[in-house]
Amino acid sequence: MLRTLRRHSSLAIILSIGLVSGSLVWVLHGPEAFRRALGVAWGVFLTVLPALLAGLLLAGSLKQLIPPGALAKWMGAESGARGLLVATLCGMAMPGGPMAAFPLVLVLAQAGADRGALIAFIVAWALNGFQRVLVWEVPLLGADFALLRFLCGLPLSVIAGAVARRIPVAWVPPGTPEPRA
Amino acid sequence: MSIGQAILLVLALGAFGLALRRGVPTAQRALRETGQTILRVLPLLVAALPMAAFLAELIPADLAAGWLGPESGLAGIAIASLAGGFIPGGPFVSFPLVLTFIKAGAGGPQMVALITGWAILGFHRVIAWEWPVLGGRFILIRLLASGLLPILAGVLAQWLLPLFPHALVRP
Repeated sequence: MLRTLRRHSSLAIILSIGLVSGSLVWVLHGPEAFRRALGVAWGVFLTVLPALLAGLLLAGSLKQLIPPGALAKWMGAESGARGLLVATLCGMAMPGGPMAAFPLVLVLAQAGADRGALIAFIVAWALNGFQRVLVWEVPLLGADFALLRFLCGLPLSVIAGAVARRIPVAWVPPGTPEPRA
Repeated sequence: MSIGQAILLVLALGAFGLALRRGVPTAQRALRETGQTILRVLPLLVAALPMAAFLAELIPADLAAGWLGPESGLAGIAIASLAGGFIPGGPFVSFPLVLTFIKAGAGGPQMVALITGWAILGFHRVIAWEWPVLGGRFILIRLLASGLLPILAGVLAQWLLPLFPHALVRP
């Protein structure tokens, strides 16, 4: 039950907001504005679709080519700044949504990646994932804005990972029998 | 088709070609993975695009231009960073919204902060995915380490904006 709800929470939230805002548009601005908004949405859909399909094929193929376990040994607690950079690159290369990324984070954690690398990975994935930038940001916002935004986000994952290594809050990955030294 | 889309298509076909060289079963798994993702993403997209368009119709243009305009400075960057955390859903929601804000006159650094806040804070994603998989303590560490970074991104964008004169012009 909870799992079903979680899996479809995005869709449910989006549909609810869409229904409420759509009704408001119809009531406040009239059916003409409602149809105009739907027309805008259709136009964006047609613009985005080819890139979306290509991006998903890329993601599906990469997932077969790169075994997740092969990445973990580069990202342990002793890996230093290099580990954060590797984690950043992996995060940026990681395609797919949170349903794919967070389970992979757990796999990396149990395979020995430390919290700094994990957080660098998450931030890099969320902020600068190649797939997201190429499929959504460049087509919708234009290459110049996307490049500016990308450059501003580039250092953040390493900063977050370095800060996370210094935060004195104990954490062990779920499913680990005892704390690692 | 834009240059970005063409590059993506070449990359996708290249990666699929590599999978095919590993053998037909690998390529089949790649195609199945792709098909499953399409089935998952497409309903989201079909629901999210009208939602973004309706919201754009409802949000008064001067709101974005005033609170998040180019003149709003550091305060606008801070507001945008926090507001970004409350945008639900994935890139199919956030980027169409940002596009309408930009058309309404929002400032570049503020929009960089908004996207960064959405990506790093994303409260909806934290509650739905990160908390169940990684636990509350991990989220505490991550938000302590990265919570202020959207503001940093906005400030960086303010410095870099003169180098990108076409950043806010739609082709």
